Amino acid sequence: MTDVRDHLREWAMPHVLCPGCAHGIVLRSFLEAVDEQEIDRNRLAMVAGIGCSSRLVGYVDFCTLHGTHGRAPAFATGLKMARPELHVVVVTGDGDGLAIGANHLIHAARRNIDITVLLLNNSIYGMTGGQAAPTTPTGAVASTTPGGNTEPNFDACKLLIGAGASFVARVLAANPIEMTRVMVEGMTHSGFSFIEVVSDCPEYYGRYNGMGGGADMLTWMAGREVGVTGPLSSKRFVNHVPSSTAPPGMATGIIQREERPVFTGVHGEGSHGP
Amino acid sequence: MSDDSSGLLLAGVGGQGVILAGMIVADALVRAGHDVKQSEVHGMAQRGGSVFSHIRWGSSVDSPLVPLGSAEVLAAFEWAEALRWVEYVREGGAVVADLRTIVPPGSCTDRRSWSIRYPDIDPDLLGRRTLKTRIVDASSTAAELGNIRAANSVILGSVAAFLDIEHVHWEAAIERLVPAGTEAVNLTSFRAGCEVVEASIPPRPADPDGFPGPHEIDIRHEWCKGCDICSRVCPEYCLEVGIDGELALVDAEACTGCRLCELLCPDFAIAVSPPTENVSRGELVASAGDPP
Amino acid sequence: MSGAKLVQGNEACVRGALAAGCNFYAGYPITPSSEIAELMVRFLPDAGGVFVQMEDEIASLATVIGASLAGSRAMTATSGPGFSLMQEHIGFATMAEVPCVVVNVMRGGPSTGLPTSPSQGDVMQARWGTHGDHPSIVLAPSSVGEVFNLTVKAFNLAERFRTPVTLIYDEIIGHTRESVVFPDSVDVISRPRPNGDPSTFLPKAAPPDGVPPMPAFGDGYRFHVTGLTHDERGFPTTDPGQAGALITRIHDKVTNHQEEITEIETLMLDDAEIAIFAYGIVGRSAHEAVLRAREAGIRVGMIRPLTLWPFPYHQVGEVAAQVDTLLVAEMNLGQLIGEVERAAAGRSEIVGHLRADGEPITPTDLVAAISGAGAVRT
Repeated sequence: MTDVRDHLREWAMPHVLCPGCAHGIVLRSFLEAVDEQEIDRNRLAMVAGIGCSSRLVGYVDFCTLHGTHGRAPAFATGLKMARPELHVVVVTGDGDGLAIGANHLIHAARRNIDITVLLLNNSIYGMTGGQAAPTTPTGAVASTTPGGNTEPNFDACKLLIGAGASFVARVLAANPIEMTRVMVEGMTHSGFSFIEVVSDCPEYYGRYNGMGGGADMLTWMAGREVGVTGPLSSKRFVNHVPSSTAPPGMATGIIQREERPVFTGVHGEGSHGP
Repeated sequence: MSDDSSGLLLAGVGGQGVILAGMIVADALVRAGHDVKQSEVHGMAQRGGSVFSHIRWGSSVDSPLVPLGSAEVLAAFEWAEALRWVEYVREGGAVVADLRTIVPPGSCTDRRSWSIRYPDIDPDLLGRRTLKTRIVDASSTAAELGNIRAANSVILGSVAAFLDIEHVHWEAAIERLVPAGTEAVNLTSFRAGCEVVEASIPPRPADPDGFPGPHEIDIRHEWCKGCDICSRVCPEYCLEVGIDGELALVDAEACTGCRLCELLCPDFAIAVSPPTENVSRGELVASAGDPP
Repeated sequence: MSGAKLVQGNEACVRGALAAGCNFYAGYPITPSSEIAELMVRFLPDAGGVFVQMEDEIASLATVIGASLAGSRAMTATSGPGFSLMQEHIGFATMAEVPCVVVNVMRGGPSTGLPTSPSQGDVMQARWGTHGDHPSIVLAPSSVGEVFNLTVKAFNLAERFRTPVTLIYDEIIGHTRESVVFPDSVDVISRPRPNGDPSTFLPKAAPPDGVPPMPAFGDGYRFHVTGLTHDERGFPTTDPGQAGALITRIHDKVTNHQEEITEIETLMLDDAEIAIFAYGIVGRSAHEAVLRAREAGIRVGMIRPLTLWPFPYHQVGEVAAQVDTLLVAEMNLGQLIGEVERAAAGRSEIVGHLRADGEPITPTDLVAAISGAGAVRT
């Protein structure tokens, strides 16, 4: 059995993320997906923006690009079109991908370029100290919504389906085996694949909203799941779901999948385009 | 009229066709002119549970259940079922046992060492030297003949060697009762079972007394941030975060290798590896607390 | 002129890019640069390159940087408002040391400004537009032929020094058609490549010239690219020693090679008492004005930098030491004049001829200025 830790830049570990932050679980599940597909790590490019989730790419021994805030899909577009044989995976967050970078994300989806976007949604801006994000649920407390968020929030999957993404899925960080399965499906999908990973932020979102630590938030997350039974659902978590912050259930799994032409840029005769 | 009956037991696991085989035996016996009673239990079929069929026949049969130590023949479709039911066979009776092994869920009370609960394939374990035994590999025979699901007919062929029923009755019963379209393969399998030679018993494991030990949990303390996710998800309470935030392995022996701690550690601080050395059965039984 | 072709400035840019081996273009429409994209999509794909129209200028330069990291020679083109949006990634490309070429066909600003009248209002933004300390290489052609030559040079400098290079010219040059004889081939310089063991590769360990070898993603070297201050491993660090060393190196690799970068045209300076300092389209008016003034017996010459940044302080200083008056003519309200003053350091009088109304500075204007008549302000 291989150890996914072989893919880490061990000299850079431990990573900067807070105790209980589920982003590391997501990275591990992703590395399992890489192993399952036996991807040559010299051909794997991971592109990130700015934020907690985007920091993940610094710790993996692939070709990694830690770009600018929200722009990862655009960097990824250049990489993929210039070198189609690369596997290009974008790691972004809810602020990075759905606020400052939403434009790039929806256009990458519209073009149907053959990249995979993992959007780690922790419902808040973590790196900057817990400000409200476009995904912060109405009523939830953040440092910029001390009285509860008065804005409605994005549903990332609906947004991406609307933008024409040919593969859209939602998975929970609490469900690592399912995460890996869906990531493999997304990465092997021909065209643009978008996977929203419901992650957590115990340090800010959890603390501001009285939701406990990492394990409590994973339980809370698993309790929101609709349709799929996670391996944790029967484990001995203490339920801790404050009713004021319990949003409606979330559909998980592969929500959208269709085949349509993949955009590779405008190429000439005999070049490496279609 | 007093009860002068003989008994036959068919035992197996859900899905193996035990009930159908019982009906065929009963039908063949009726055709041979006997009074027949049959009873069966098949409550756990969907979960791979034990299924058995009692058949008694004679000039007059009062009760369908075969009393302990009275069966003429035990036909076990699975090795552990042979051992489970062997006490029902009379002195001088016969056991037809398939080599097939299907580990019952109930054997896994200790998940790290499920194999300890499953017996070796060893005719000596049947206990009594007076028994006539015939060990078959019905699944392989049926598969070679084209349909592994006809394994029950192979076993019936072997059973036929110990019963005084004319083949025409067996074959008529099979033709009547097997699913439409499978008559030919079941008849071929039955005939093959009549002629089948003793199957060779697979070699015992290199270390028949050794069983996998507990999985090994490796904690990389320099990466661990003490978040407590692992200790909260471990079903066996192997891990604990101390008041100082330091993760400790408090019960290494209890680990079953489910890897939840590893998969849910955000800091790549835990690795669960399969056992690297066998421990003796005795040690495991001792640590498990209750003997199998 | 044998083999001459009548082409527009923006077309010369495309021809120069293709001659220089450009094989990736990403851009967003904006007047007066759009012809570059429109011609690129006609010629680049058949030359084996890739074209993509992006959702905005931010994405355009990000995509160019991504392509460059994958080994392409990549460029984009825009005008002032788009150039403002590109500043984010000019900074990123500078920090991450990713070669790329940005063309800014200037129009009047600020904001949407004067679409589309000529201007030289972006020359300081081209130097200082992105935040933080950073070097800049900015080239300013005066003619369609120079657009070709300097586009080639922009690619070569970008690759040679692993840094973004800006080619900046105004709307008049972009839209002017001139007869140009293009060379059959040009010298093409490629980025330095590593050849050592990938397992011990340090992506930001630089040889003495300050330019680290650069593999492409997919070449077998795995490394991290970030806009954060980083160490030789390319990994983020806040260590003051490492941070200072990085920022100093990315400056020094440019400033220590100024002789490779700087290009200057001079005209009739030997006995000049007055020198006109002009660049871009104004350089053409200055050239004509010098000839006319000489006919009138005025001892005037011209210094025209083709390289605006790094600023040729030394060369301008030498001219200042020789002449009595430096007449700085630019189509803005005084941007490079401050640099000329720094270079002159009091050795000559500095007079500005400045306008920012969307109209060009003509030879007549400059002859009048030289003669000391009106329209001069410092």
